[in-house]
Amino acid sequence: MAVDPQMMDPEALEAEAEAEYDLLGVEGSFWTATRLLIGIVTFVWAGVAFAYFYLRESDTHALWRPHGVTPPTLLGTLIALCVVAGAAVAVYGKYTLLDGRQVDWGFAAWLTTALGLVAAGLQIWELTRLSFLPGLSGYTSVFIGYAPLNVAFILGGTYWMETTVARAMRLRGRLATTGGAGASPLPDARLLRANVDGVTYFWVYMALIVATFWALFYVL
Amino acid sequence: MAMTEEARAGTGQHGRITARERQRNPWLGQSVITGFAGAAIGYLLGHLFGNIIASNYAVVKASGVNNVSICLGLALGTLGWLAGLGAFNYAVAKILGYEPAKEEETTGWQRYFKMTLDHKVVGLQYLIAVLGFFFTAGLFAEAFRTELLSPYSHFIGPDVYLQLVSEHGTMMMMMATSLVVGPFGNYLVPLMIGARGMAFPRLEATSLWLFVAGYMVILTAPVYGGFNTGWTAYAPLQTEARGGMDSYLIGFGVVGLGMILNGFNQIVTITNLRAPGMRWTRLPIFVWAMLTTGFLLTLATPVLFVGAYLGVLDRTAQTSFYVNAHGGSSYLWENLFWFFGHPEVYIMALPGFGLVGEMLTVFSRKPLFAYKVAAAGMIGVALLSFFVWQHHLFQSGINPDMRPLFMLDTELISIPTGFIYLVGMGTLWRGRIRFTLPMMFSLAMYFNFLIGGITGVYLSDVPVNVTVHGSFFVLAHFHYTIMGGLVFAFFGAVYYYMPRVTGHMLNETLGKIHFWMMFVFFNLTFFPLLIVGFLGMPRRVFEYAPRLQGLNAFATVADYLLGLSFVVFVANFIWSMWIDPKPAPHNPWQSRGIEWQLPDPVPFHNFDRLPLILSDPYHYGEEDPLPVADFRGGGALAALAEAGVAPFDAYAGRPEIAHPASHISDPGREV
Amino acid sequence: MTATDGDRRDGGRADDPNRRHWRFLLLVVLVGTIIVEPLLWFVIRVHMPPGRQTTAAQGDQFDATVLTMMASPVVIAVLAYFTYAMVVWRHPKGAPLVDGPPIRSNLKVQASWLFMTSAIVMGAFVFGTYELIVPAGAGGGEGPSPIWTPTSKTILPVQVIGQQWQWTYRYPTYGGFETTQLVLPDNTWIAFHVTSLDVIHSFWAYQLGVKADANPQVDDVAFTKTQQTGKVTVRCDELCGIWHGAMYNYGYVVSRSSFNSWALRTEKRQAPLTKLLPPFSWTYSPSANGAGGGYYPSSIPFPSSESYGKGASGPEGNLPGVKVSHKGLSGGQ
Repeated sequence: MAVDPQMMDPEALEAEAEAEYDLLGVEGSFWTATRLLIGIVTFVWAGVAFAYFYLRESDTHALWRPHGVTPPTLLGTLIALCVVAGAAVAVYGKYTLLDGRQVDWGFAAWLTTALGLVAAGLQIWELTRLSFLPGLSGYTSVFIGYAPLNVAFILGGTYWMETTVARAMRLRGRLATTGGAGASPLPDARLLRANVDGVTYFWVYMALIVATFWALFYVL
Repeated sequence: MAMTEEARAGTGQHGRITARERQRNPWLGQSVITGFAGAAIGYLLGHLFGNIIASNYAVVKASGVNNVSICLGLALGTLGWLAGLGAFNYAVAKILGYEPAKEEETTGWQRYFKMTLDHKVVGLQYLIAVLGFFFTAGLFAEAFRTELLSPYSHFIGPDVYLQLVSEHGTMMMMMATSLVVGPFGNYLVPLMIGARGMAFPRLEATSLWLFVAGYMVILTAPVYGGFNTGWTAYAPLQTEARGGMDSYLIGFGVVGLGMILNGFNQIVTITNLRAPGMRWTRLPIFVWAMLTTGFLLTLATPVLFVGAYLGVLDRTAQTSFYVNAHGGSSYLWENLFWFFGHPEVYIMALPGFGLVGEMLTVFSRKPLFAYKVAAAGMIGVALLSFFVWQHHLFQSGINPDMRPLFMLDTELISIPTGFIYLVGMGTLWRGRIRFTLPMMFSLAMYFNFLIGGITGVYLSDVPVNVTVHGSFFVLAHFHYTIMGGLVFAFFGAVYYYMPRVTGHMLNETLGKIHFWMMFVFFNLTFFPLLIVGFLGMPRRVFEYAPRLQGLNAFATVADYLLGLSFVVFVANFIWSMWIDPKPAPHNPWQSRGIEWQLPDPVPFHNFDRLPLILSDPYHYGEEDPLPVADFRGGGALAALAEAGVAPFDAYAGRPEIAHPASHISDPGREV
Repeated sequence: MTATDGDRRDGGRADDPNRRHWRFLLLVVLVGTIIVEPLLWFVIRVHMPPGRQTTAAQGDQFDATVLTMMASPVVIAVLAYFTYAMVVWRHPKGAPLVDGPPIRSNLKVQASWLFMTSAIVMGAFVFGTYELIVPAGAGGGEGPSPIWTPTSKTILPVQVIGQQWQWTYRYPTYGGFETTQLVLPDNTWIAFHVTSLDVIHSFWAYQLGVKADANPQVDDVAFTKTQQTGKVTVRCDELCGIWHGAMYNYGYVVSRSSFNSWALRTEKRQAPLTKLLPPFSWTYSPSANGAGGGYYPSSIPFPSSESYGKGASGPEGNLPGVKVSHKGLSGGQ
C-alpha cells in the first residue's frame, strides 16, 4: 500500500482494510477454485479410467482389444509431448514472472497457448486417422470416448492460459510503474498472479493426465 | 452478439455505464427472449449438422431415428440458450483480455427474466424454477397413479405409463438435487456467512440457466417418442431406446453441469468469503449442509456426466461401452450411474437436515444441540456416501464378495445420519416449542425420515434385500427420505424464509391446510406402497396382482389429495405474494440468525460494512448473550492485524483502533 | 439428558427436571418394547413375507422379523420422545416468548448415542453377514462364480432365461428342454442360472425368496432349497421395456416323484423341439446376422463351469428320485 495506514482516519482505514480483506478473499477463491476444479476434472477422468479398466478386466467375449488395434502412435505421442512441453514452459514462465521478467512470462504463456492449440488440433486429426471402427471392441470405445474429452480438456487449459496472458497484456501499461505484473502490489496484479498460479497448476495436472492416458492407450 | 457491458468496461471506461444507458428499455438487453431465440437457432443448427453428418449411416437409415442430430440439436440448443442469455459475454470478452464489468444493481420485475449477478435474485429465480420442475413432474405421477387404480391396463397403456414413470423419476431427481442448494443455498449462504455475494456470480447465474435448460431438454423427450427406461436407464435398454433417451442423457449432462457449478460455487464461497470472525465453529448449520452437499455435487456429478457422455457415444458414434456383445459391459453403466446415484441421495438429504436445524432452534428457543456433532454427522454422511453405491447392485450378479463390505458401509452411514436425530431431539429438550408452519414441517420431516431411515436398514441387509430390492418397497423408502425429508424441509423453509425473501408472509390458515393435507396424504400414499412392495409388487409395472388392488387404489386416492395439497400451496403463494400481500414484520420469527438482522429489503450488496461476527446464531436462553454480529464493521482491520497482513499488522495489539466492537466482551469465545 | 452446568445451579439432583423427563421417557420405551417385541416374534413373524416355501424365503422372513425387532425400540423411543416434547414443552399460545435453557451439548448423552447406534449397526452387520453366507447367498444372484454355495451334493440346476417379455426355463439335467413353466422338486437344493437374451431383467420368484438379475451374456447363479410344495409367482423385477409389467408367470413346487415324472415326460415330448434349440449353454448371444432370432451358445459348455456343490455336476448327480443326465448336452456341442 502506498500510504501509511497509521496516518489515515479510522473510516478510510477500515475501508482500506475491507478492500484488502475482500481481495484476500478473491485470491483465496482462485486458490480454492483451482484445486476444486482439479478435483472435478479428476472425477471426470476417473470415470473414463474406470471404463478403461473395467472393460479391460471384463474382457467380454474376449473383445477388449483385438490384436493389432492401436491408434496412430506417433500422433498420440506428439500430443502428449506438446502438453508436457506446454506445462514445462508454463512452470518456467511462472517463475520468471515472479522474478520480475514479464516479457519472458508473456512469451512462455503464448508458447504454451500455441502448444495447447497444436495438441488439440493433432488430437482432432488423430480421430480422423483411425484404422478401426468405434464399436469394434472395448478398447476402441474407450479411445473414442477419451479423444473428444481430451480435446475439450486441452482447449479449456489453453483458453485459461490465453485469457490470462491477454489480460496481462492489457494491464501492462497500468502496472509498469509499480513493478510490473510480477511484483506490483496493485490488486489487478495480485489477481493476475493468482490466475497465473492457478493456470500453471492446472497445466501441470493436465500434463500428468495426458501422460497417464498416453501410457494406457499406447504403452500398456 | 452485442458488445457487452463487460467488454465496454474493459476498454478503459472500467465499468462506467451512463445513467441513460442503464435506464434503457429493460427488454432490449439480453433476457429469456434472446435466450429462446438462441436456443432455437442452436437447436436448428445442431439438427442440420446432425443430418449432414449421420443421415447416411446405415443405422439411421434402418431405424429412421437420427440420434446424432437429436443430441447435437439439444446440445447446441443449450449453448444457444446460454449465449442468448449472455452467459458467454464475459467469457468471450476475456479472450481479448477485458476485465469484468462492475456489477450494477438491477431493478424491476424484468430482472427475474435475465441473467443477473445478484445472488438474491438468482435464489428467487431458482425457487420458481424448482417449483416448476416439481409440479410438472408431480402431474405425471397423478397420471400413472391413475393407471394403477386397476391391476390391468385401462387408462394410458403401458407405453405412456412407462414414459410418464421415467419422466417423473428423472425430473424429480434432477429437481431434488437443486431443490434447496439452488434457491436457499444461493440466497442464504452469502447472508449467513457475512459475504456480499457468491464467489463466482456468473457461474452462479449460469448454473441456474443450465437448470432451466435441463427442464426444457428433458421435456423434449416425448417429442422423440419418450424413453421407457425409468430414471436409472439401465443399458442395454438405454442403448436400444427411442430418441427420447437422448433427451435424458443430454438433459442429465446439462443439469449435471449446473449442479457441478452450483456446488463448486458454494464450496469456494464458504471457504473464502466468510466475514471476519466467522470461524468454522460459528457457521450456521445450514452452511455446513451446503458445504458438504457442495462436495458431493462437485465430486459425484462428474461421474454421471461421464456415464451420460458414454451413453451418448454408444447411441451416436456406435461405440460399445454398454454393449456386452462388442466388448462392453452393461455393468459399466450401473457402476458409473450409482457411483453418482448414491451420493446424489445424500445431495437430497443433507440440505434438508441443514434447513431443519435452523428452524428447530428458532422455534424451540434453544441453541442447536451438539453443534459439532451435527457438522461431523454431515461430513460423515458425505464421506461414506461415496462407498455405498454397490448396494443398488446386490442382486445384479456382480462382486458377491463385496456384498458384506457394502452392507457394512451402508449401515455405517446410519450412524452419522442418526446424529441428525440426536441434534434435533437434543434441541427440543425442554425447549419452548412453537407450532408455527416451519416448525410443523420440520417435525414432520423427523417423522417421515424415521420411516425412510428404518426401511433403509431392510434394504441394506443383503438377505432381506432379496425380497425388497426393485419393489415398491424401495420406491416408498426413497419417497419417505426424499419427499418426506427434503421436500418437507423445503416447504417449511419456504414458509420460514418468504418474509425475508419477499417481505410478505404466506397466509397461515392456508398454510396449515397445506401442511395437514400434505403430511397426512403423503403418509397415506406411501405407507401402503411399502406394504405393496413387501407383498411382491415390482416397480414400474402397469399390471399387478389383483389382490394388491385395494392398497394400490387407496394409495392412488391419497395421492390425488396429496396433489391437491400443492394446489392449496400454489393458491396461498399467489394470494399472499400478489393478490393480497401483507407486509411481514421485521424478523417475524425472532431469529438470531444474521440473515434476519439485515434491513428489509436486504440491500443490494447485503452489508454496507463487512460485519464482524461475534458468535454463532444459536445463543438462545442465555442471559445477556453476545449479539451475533457487529454490523458497524471494524472486523476487517482486526482480522488483518491479527493475521499479520502488512501494513495492517501495525494495529495488532491496539484493540481500541483495530476493534470498534471491542466494547463487547470476549468476542472470540469458542462455542 | 443429565443436568448441565447451568441446570445444576437451579437445584439439587432430586428436583432436577431432566431426571423427571428421563424417567418417564425410559418407562414408555421400556413398556412399549416389552409389548411390541413378543407380538413381533410370536404373532407377526409367521405372517411376514415372503413365507417359508424355501430356506431362502424362510431366511428372509426371519431376517425381516429380527430387523423389525431391532428397529422397534428405536422407533418407539423416537416417536415417544417427539410426542412427549410436543406435549410437554409446547409453548402456550399467546404467552410471552421466553427462551429455553441454553443446553449446548452433553457429552454423556452424545457418547451413549454414538455407542448405541454403533452397537445396533454392528449387530445388524454381523447378523446380516451370517444370514447371507450360511444359507448359501440367501437366494440372491451371486454372479457366474458363486462364492457361497450349498454343501449338498444333490443340486438341481435350472436355467432361467429372460427375454422381452417372457420367462423360460431349461433343465440341463433333462436334455436341456425348454419350457415356460417352472416346476421344481420339493426338499431339493436348486441352482438357478439366470441369464437374458436381450436387456436386463430380474428373476424374482417371490415365494422362493430368490432374486437374481438376468443380464445378457452373464450367468447369474442363485441357490435355495425348497421345503414346501405350492404355487410360485415369478415376476420380472427390472424394467425391461414396454411389457415389463406383463412379464410374469407361475411355477410350482411339487413332490420329487411328481417332478421326476413331469421332467421325464416333458423331456420326451419336447425332444424334437429341443433339437432345434441352440445347444444348452450358460449364456447365449444373438447370432451374427440376427436372422430369425437365432442364438448361439456364447460360453463354455455346461459341465465345466459347474464349480459349486462338489460332485453335483457328476453324471450320476445323486439326486434321489431325480434322473440326472447330460446326454442332451454332449450331443449339441
